[in-house]
Amino acid sequence: MATPNPIPAGISKEQAFSMAQTEMEYRVELFNKLAQTCFSKCVDKRYKETELNMGDNSCIDRCVSKYWQVNGMVGQLLSAGKPPM
Amino acid sequence: MADANAEPAAGSSGSNETASQIEPIRMPTIEEMRAQEVWNNCAVKSVASGVMGGGLGLMMGLFLGALDNPITNDTMTGRQQFVFTAKQMGSRSWSSCKTFAVMGLVFSAAECIIEKARAKHDTTNTAFAGCVTGGSMSARGGPKAACIGCAGFATFSVLIEKFFDRHT
Repeated sequence: MATPNPIPAGISKEQAFSMAQTEMEYRVELFNKLAQTCFSKCVDKRYKETELNMGDNSCIDRCVSKYWQVNGMVGQLLSAGKPPM
Repeated sequence: MADANAEPAAGSSGSNETASQIEPIRMPTIEEMRAQEVWNNCAVKSVASGVMGGGLGLMMGLFLGALDNPITNDTMTGRQQFVFTAKQMGSRSWSSCKTFAVMGLVFSAAECIIEKARAKHDTTNTAFAGCVTGGSMSARGGPKAACIGCAGFATFSVLIEKFFDRHT
């Protein structure tokens, strides 16, 4: 993060701070959910080795890529107006 | 996980200073990640496996080449017998080294590629890789020899994998 985003005009400092806080909570929640989902899908629960295997690595790559893409799509849909679901 | 800092067990940490301190989880640095990424590459893994196979083949060929053909020729002196045996050992160990190196390279490359494509860690990866190795090595004898080599080497590699996996 090189330079922080300038606060848009018309928003007070407290509002910007609370927006940043909401955004941070959202990001943390996203990361936790992502790690949990991909771990439960990809890693064998018997824990035979300490390292991630090649298969686990490529599974995690694919899982994270799909999750991120779907997350972006859902975010776009939600922000473009409320679609009837 | 973002909240992964576990509480260290209180226990007897106050009384025993020489016991190992439980440290919080440390994220890997970029150099550590790069060092681990080297072994994530199929080419590097298969070349290393081929080199190890070559070393093993060298040792085995040296040992078996010495036992191969005991010379009973009386017309050679002791020194000539020694030179002859040494040459035989050398050629035998070199050919065995090449065979084992190719075998290790092909097996490791096949297993790595199959595992990357399937995105799963299983013994069927080992079986398929063994089949590819055995088939490619006996392909000169025709399709029937290739099938037999495939089945045989696949069984062998699965057994070896199960043998090494017993203790984990």
